[in-house]
Amino acid sequence: MATTKTPARPSATSDEGRRPRPSTWVWSWTYAGALAVAGLLLAVVGYLGSGIGSGTVDWLNLVTESAWSPPNAAFGGLAMIYGTAVVSVLALVLAVPIGWAAAIALSEYLPPRIARPMRMCVELLAAVPSIVYGLIGIAVIRPVIASIADVPGGDSLAAAGIVLAVMIVPTVVAVSVDALSAVPDRYREAAYSLGLTRGEVIRSAVLPLARSGMRAAVLLGLARALGEAIAVFLVVGRADGRMPHGFGEFLDSLSHPGQTLTTKLAGPEPVLAGTSGPHFAALCGLGLLLLALVAGATIWGTRERRRSTRKAGHLPTPRLRQQRDRLLTVWRLGALLLPSALLIGILGLLVTRGTSAFNPSFWVSAATGAAGGGVRDQITGTLLLVVTTGLLALPLGFGAGILIGTHASARTARVLQTLTLVLGGVPTILLGLAGFVILSTSMGWGRSWLAGAIVLVPVVAPVVALTTAARIRSLPPELTESALSLGLTRAQYIRSVVVPYTWPATVTGLLLGLARAAGETAPLLFTATVFFGAPTVPNGIVESPVQALPTHIFTLSQDSGDPQAVDQAWGSAMVLVLITAVLLSAAIALRNRFEGERWTT
Amino acid sequence: MITYKRRAAYLTSTAVLFVSLSGCAGDDAGSGGALQVSGSTTVAPVAADAAEALKAKGLDIIVATQGGSAGGISQLAAGQIGIAMSSKPIAPEDESAHPDTDFRVTQVGADAVGVIVTDEVAEAGVENLTAAQVRDLFEGKITNWSEVGGPDLEVFVYDKEPGRGTREVLDKYIYGEEKAPPPPESGNFAIVGGNLETRNKLKSTPGAVAPLSTSFVEGHDDLAVVTLDGIAPSPENIATGTYPMSRPLYLITDGEPEGTSKKFINYVLSPKGQELMTKHGYLKLKEIGK
Repeated sequence: MATTKTPARPSATSDEGRRPRPSTWVWSWTYAGALAVAGLLLAVVGYLGSGIGSGTVDWLNLVTESAWSPPNAAFGGLAMIYGTAVVSVLALVLAVPIGWAAAIALSEYLPPRIARPMRMCVELLAAVPSIVYGLIGIAVIRPVIASIADVPGGDSLAAAGIVLAVMIVPTVVAVSVDALSAVPDRYREAAYSLGLTRGEVIRSAVLPLARSGMRAAVLLGLARALGEAIAVFLVVGRADGRMPHGFGEFLDSLSHPGQTLTTKLAGPEPVLAGTSGPHFAALCGLGLLLLALVAGATIWGTRERRRSTRKAGHLPTPRLRQQRDRLLTVWRLGALLLPSALLIGILGLLVTRGTSAFNPSFWVSAATGAAGGGVRDQITGTLLLVVTTGLLALPLGFGAGILIGTHASARTARVLQTLTLVLGGVPTILLGLAGFVILSTSMGWGRSWLAGAIVLVPVVAPVVALTTAARIRSLPPELTESALSLGLTRAQYIRSVVVPYTWPATVTGLLLGLARAAGETAPLLFTATVFFGAPTVPNGIVESPVQALPTHIFTLSQDSGDPQAVDQAWGSAMVLVLITAVLLSAAIALRNRFEGERWTT
Repeated sequence: MITYKRRAAYLTSTAVLFVSLSGCAGDDAGSGGALQVSGSTTVAPVAADAAEALKAKGLDIIVATQGGSAGGISQLAAGQIGIAMSSKPIAPEDESAHPDTDFRVTQVGADAVGVIVTDEVAEAGVENLTAAQVRDLFEGKITNWSEVGGPDLEVFVYDKEPGRGTREVLDKYIYGEEKAPPPPESGNFAIVGGNLETRNKLKSTPGAVAPLSTSFVEGHDDLAVVTLDGIAPSPENIATGTYPMSRPLYLITDGEPEGTSKKFINYVLSPKGQELMTKHGYLKLKEIGK
């Protein structure tokens, strides 16, 4: 190829090897990442497709009828589609304004010494196991809905939407802050020197550069909202066949129990339905519908904006500039109250209920029986799963993200991005079932820790890929231009400019993804974990299960009447949060060093 | 500087990967020799405590809860596990789905299921319900407690999700061998999962009714168990079969239990093993006269 031969300069060799080498491995790496994402998605879709093939699905019925009753052979999914739409729209409407405002406050208003610890706290919130959010929903949000709407109980679509909003605020904030802090300071300085107020600087200089990253934050939040099961499970009421007719009934349906596609799929039915027949086929049909919804939402969310919609000449009127600026400051700083209150509330709850976690022997001693002793084995199991998943997902997600972000054709990039988001929105129970069929049964691994780690890769890799891609899109053009004008090939440019520039965002993505993976229960139950009796460290791959904290919490919080079991469940949740906090602080320290070093000044 | 740091990071991560891979490419076949027990989350805590006690005697037992009772039964039939835990009897469908499996069922305890109402409803006069009244409540035909002699309060039904032993017991009581109809089209109807979740939601919902293990109501004054057709869920009534709603807890093997399986089942049946039933809120075999 002509382009790779041109930079044959003798001076390059004399430069102590500091000049970028040809770096052709970059391409195999990025394509491997993208292919892995596509392959994982293909495996899930293939699993669903073979399920649909095992029985007949009446698609028309599935999308137009609302009655769902397997014993009576009624398979209508309309009410679930409605529930999913209502819950996710509600979550986004609540979470996005608050999340964006809080992110702007963290990045643009607060001094770094306050903003950095707060940013870490927000990321920590993303790591709280979803069952804890569900319990908060039961204790706090249901009663509020019950008293406002005057309904008994309070299990409702509205409660589910609020719980989801609370859960995705940390994701939206964390990814948006990343996008904002990637905007070089010289843009701000130039804008201030023109005499703009702080609000105007943010609006006209900072947000245009951070827009793609902040939009990615919303998409990631949406993917998490659609894929989340357990927390919604506990507050949505899971009642089938509720479908409003007319606006009055629509308002009424918000305060009453409903069902979403995810809660249906994460419930007991996929297990009860066996592995073939009309019931299983209908459930697989629902799975495909959900994936189609995520794909549709992604395509709509990332559609090309018409140039004309952004009026170049439109500037705020000069009247009341200072007052408006002050109002904006109050709103943005006020938006921080919600995440802060949440953090204090959740920590308070965990600390009061999970007191056993503060006893050192709880960490280092093995379990005795169902709920006695400590959780040493569960901790090592969780660490093993999380670290292995991270090692597998980081290169793949990073590679895929770079390909999405730097690929020349906008259309290809969009297709790849949609595929990645769909993979991220797959309900994890489907990952577990697909992993069970493919890894545990067909490949004969049985229950294996490695199968569990592989099943968790689709949870983490899309988050890594999307945060990376969004960061690349906010890369200042002059960096690209100067790199290419120095004669770097595309591969060298990726290696020496793109990778170092995106690295901090990639770390954030990895943390958010791993935090979610660490709290996953559903996929592990089928592929990797047992409740009792596995060795501390597995000694093989085939038939080598581990014990893990989330599945431990899940089993103990089901049916045991032993008060000790409840104590141990809360203690384990506290341990899980503490472990994640330690991992987070380590990685954040690393990121802050990278971030401060070169790019953002 | 950055490139060196990054190279160091790559090297470390590769090293970690290799160490972890070589660590797992170790010798023997993991847990191949251990007895695998899987199934119902209801029985799992009891089984785990029993396994712990037997560990001291050198027996290696793994307890999992993949797929609940139904999952345990199908894994047993597929030969993947040694013992299935179940909180419901083997159904004729299970027998016909797995004709090659010789299901041997050992009852190890029982769980009394009650129809639970809130204290407010019980004190106002709803202390007994007939089978027909329970059916109408759960079908959404009775919407106010005043229709069954209670206060003027809306009924809110919490039914258990499909596949839960508790729900099957209730369905059998009100429908017998018939198929249960689809759930009512009412706004005052929701589905719940585990026993703790059920109790939590019963307490926080005025006018709620749900099926729940009676042991979960003991010591909670704000909830009450109603008698069914005048019969209370006492151990005697369960033993004689006059109380209609109880579910047996089973350990199921393929063929006669042998070796470790036999030792495990014998331990659960022993007085020490039976104490575990009380610990986790269930009835001992002795209490129900078996």
